[in-house]
Amino acid sequence: MIANPSRIVLAMLLFLAGSPVISRAQMPANRDADTAAIKQMVTAFQDTWNSHDAHAVAMRYVEDGDFSSVKGEDSHGRKELEEHYTTIFTTFLKNAHTTDTVRSIRFLAPDLASVDIDWLVSDPNAPGGVLRKGLLTWIVTKSKGQWMITVYHESAF
Amino acid sequence: MIALRLRMTLPAVLFFAIAATLLAAQMPANKDSDSVAIKQCVAAWEDAWNRHDAQATAAAYVQDGDFSSTTGVPSHGAKELEAHYNEIFTTFLKDAHRTDQVRSIRFLTPDIASVDIDWQMTGARTRDGKDAPNRKGLLNWIVSRQPGGRWMITIYHESAF
Repeated sequence: MIANPSRIVLAMLLFLAGSPVISRAQMPANRDADTAAIKQMVTAFQDTWNSHDAHAVAMRYVEDGDFSSVKGEDSHGRKELEEHYTTIFTTFLKNAHTTDTVRSIRFLAPDLASVDIDWLVSDPNAPGGVLRKGLLTWIVTKSKGQWMITVYHESAF
Repeated sequence: MIALRLRMTLPAVLFFAIAATLLAAQMPANKDSDSVAIKQCVAAWEDAWNRHDAQATAAAYVQDGDFSSTTGVPSHGAKELEAHYNEIFTTFLKDAHRTDQVRSIRFLTPDIASVDIDWQMTGARTRDGKDAPNRKGLLNWIVSRQPGGRWMITIYHESAF
């Protein structure tokens, strides 16, 4: 009748082989859309940062996001992140403006990517108008269709 | 006939149930041993670097690994990585010695982790051969578990401060 042993074996094989094949086949189409979405997210972060809205900047991170400063000082989670941004926006970066340009994106999984971003912080009072420049390196994850920062590192040079 | 059908379906049901249970149960236990394995990966890399063995240092990366220097200069893939290490080990870092201390590990998936490492360096020189001040900073690696269980560097970033 229906329960033919070879059919069961076939079903198991299809189950095992099916998922990677499907996810691999989906990748190219999604990747272009995800690349565009990540770039939009970087622009949105830059604009939020430039409005010096500490709460909105912290909301670009996942709930338990990690930030590390140019000196390797850590902030963990949205509460600490918002405190960190409140401090910098009311003190040494209160006149600062950032320009963030995506240099490269490397996908580690369909919903996980590493992003390198050239950054330049300008300030009318700084020598030559440039306060800082360097590289931001983010790990971003897609949750409920939205890309967010999971881990943020920055280096200045 | 029903008995026969049951006999055929039962193994399949058991197969899926056991497979799912094993996948779920493995994760927490592996995290501890994976943390140990990642620290070993860092220590082995540090050792290769301190021997100034460009081939072994580059071999800690996956085949298409990415490196970015403290000034954001990238190297991509095994060939470029080995050339990069050859260059630094025969010029301004030929007498340098480094210390790497894992600060934190964040698992992004069971097979991918982000690792923060405090680094220090003595014995570096300037590009024109004069003694340079000691350097320190933070490395941020993305490491991935390879088939066979070995952890390797997929992406390497470093900052100096």
